[in-house]
Amino acid sequence: MNTITLENTLPRVFASEQIPHSEVWKTTLSFSRGNLYLVEAASGGGKSSLCAYIFGARTDYEGRILFDDTNISTLSIGRWLELRRRHIAYLPQELSLFPELTAWENIQLKNRLTGYASDKMVAHWLEQLGIASRRDYPASRLSIGQQQRVAIIRAICQPFDFLLLDEPVSHLDADNNRTAAHLITEEAQRQGAAIISTSVGNHIDLNYTHRLHL
Amino acid sequence: MISKILRKNTSPGRIIGFILSNFIGLAIVLGGLQFYSDASSIWSDTDSFIRTDYLVVNKKVTSASTLGQSDMGFSEAEIADIEAQPWTRSVGRFTANDFRVNASVQTGSRGMSTYMFFESIPDDFIDVPRAQWQYRPGSGEVPIILSKDYLTLYNFGFASSAGLPQLSEGLMSSIPLTLTLTSDDDTRTATLTGRVAGFSNRLNTILVPEAFMQEANARFGTRAPAPKRLIIDVSSPGDVAIKQYLESHDLELAGDKSASSAAFLLKIIVAIVLAIGIVITLLSLFILILSMSLIMEKNRDKLHALLMLGYPVRTVQRPYSTLVTAAAAAALLLAIATTFMLRAYYLPPLKALGATSGGTLTMLLTALILTTAIIITNIALIKRRVKKSFR
Repeated sequence: MNTITLENTLPRVFASEQIPHSEVWKTTLSFSRGNLYLVEAASGGGKSSLCAYIFGARTDYEGRILFDDTNISTLSIGRWLELRRRHIAYLPQELSLFPELTAWENIQLKNRLTGYASDKMVAHWLEQLGIASRRDYPASRLSIGQQQRVAIIRAICQPFDFLLLDEPVSHLDADNNRTAAHLITEEAQRQGAAIISTSVGNHIDLNYTHRLHL
Repeated sequence: MISKILRKNTSPGRIIGFILSNFIGLAIVLGGLQFYSDASSIWSDTDSFIRTDYLVVNKKVTSASTLGQSDMGFSEAEIADIEAQPWTRSVGRFTANDFRVNASVQTGSRGMSTYMFFESIPDDFIDVPRAQWQYRPGSGEVPIILSKDYLTLYNFGFASSAGLPQLSEGLMSSIPLTLTLTSDDDTRTATLTGRVAGFSNRLNTILVPEAFMQEANARFGTRAPAPKRLIIDVSSPGDVAIKQYLESHDLELAGDKSASSAAFLLKIIVAIVLAIGIVITLLSLFILILSMSLIMEKNRDKLHALLMLGYPVRTVQRPYSTLVTAAAAAALLLAIATTFMLRAYYLPPLKALGATSGGTLTMLLTALILTTAIIITNIALIKRRVKKSFR
């Protein structure tokens, strides 16, 4: 998968409203592999909606979204699940960790499915992000910042063409932000993938090629 | 790990509730079926010559008929009326001999001879292998089916008081009877050998093949009297309409009357038991469907989260499918075990009543089909619910 194209896309809730100028909604916009995109907006601008649309989790929009030349509204559930394993990685804002599983189990839940990273690699990532000591803690007992780092590692435990990050560092300090950015950039470059990151202000410290205002 | 996540909120109480109710329902269905297949042989197997749904009827003997003032024979109109009844499949006429028959037996040095009679019915009504019930013209040998009552009367009534030897069925079958047929005017006579092909509980007569009877009547007889007894193939032997018809037309049912109504009663009781069992089985199916949907509804967020990670639908549904299959299989095994235990309990007294044990294949197949249906229905619903939690 090389491009994601938005054609006249608009969340249905905005349809009846007069929305201010946007570089994403109601235009034609393409995201291409290898680029780093930052989508900035005030809260309520539809950042999470954009991620959910691209990830197939929601369909309440007007216009079209294309993966290469395929309209995503025609994709079957089976195809979506395959895309999620092989082509699109997603870090949701709500993280969606399983509270009853440990940090390690939460990561392996994804990693065993994709068979992507070695245990050693995962351990190294935990080390890098400073949560190696929390490896066997249930997710429910980790702080939000720690959970966010677990979720970041989980998100990159798969092959991907596009990595969607919905406010990935909202609970991280500057140091951790930089480490996470480094880790993510490295992984995206290795795969030649694009990153689409959203932010309301505190954005992850990447060398963005494009900055878009919702 | 998937199981660890998804088994949460699984209520063992509800699953045990399903297993119990499914077990009870299945056990009733299987027990009923098995009992029917074992018990029905009491009525169907004791007389291998004639099926239970054949009735033999004759007109009631009254003083008038003794004095020769009323005709005991069935007219064609009367036969046509019986044929027109909704419960009639077909009607066969009894043909009586129109000549004299003398039978003699030689047992050791002692001989004995008696006058007797023959009757025949169409071969279609007799369940005897063709080879055993075939009369070849000119062969001089005639197969005979004797009423068991005659043998009983002879053995326990006549033989003991007259100092004659008692005869077993096997012995009777091996002794050839010498039959002398004579026309009423004594002008024609013939000697033949009779061979007892079997004994019947339900036919109070001495039966010979119809082909032989027609030939002999043509040769030695002079008249062709109207049939005095009819054999009727009925759709349902216990039907009240048959009883009412027979009563209103002064007809009598010959042979064992209780057998057919008992068989009919057994069918009704088994049908009721099966219906109850099936209702309970259906209810247990709904219990399972409801408890699965409750569990999955409670775990909807987890199902959704797993699909968000890209887990295939079949992987996500597997813990639930396994649970359903295991529960249904447990109920199935319990029900089959119970049926076999029940069978071990009722079979000895049933065998004492003359039943031969029926096979267990129907019961086992039914068990398998019902359980498979429950499993397939639930797995289909589980799959649908997983897909519904995709968005």
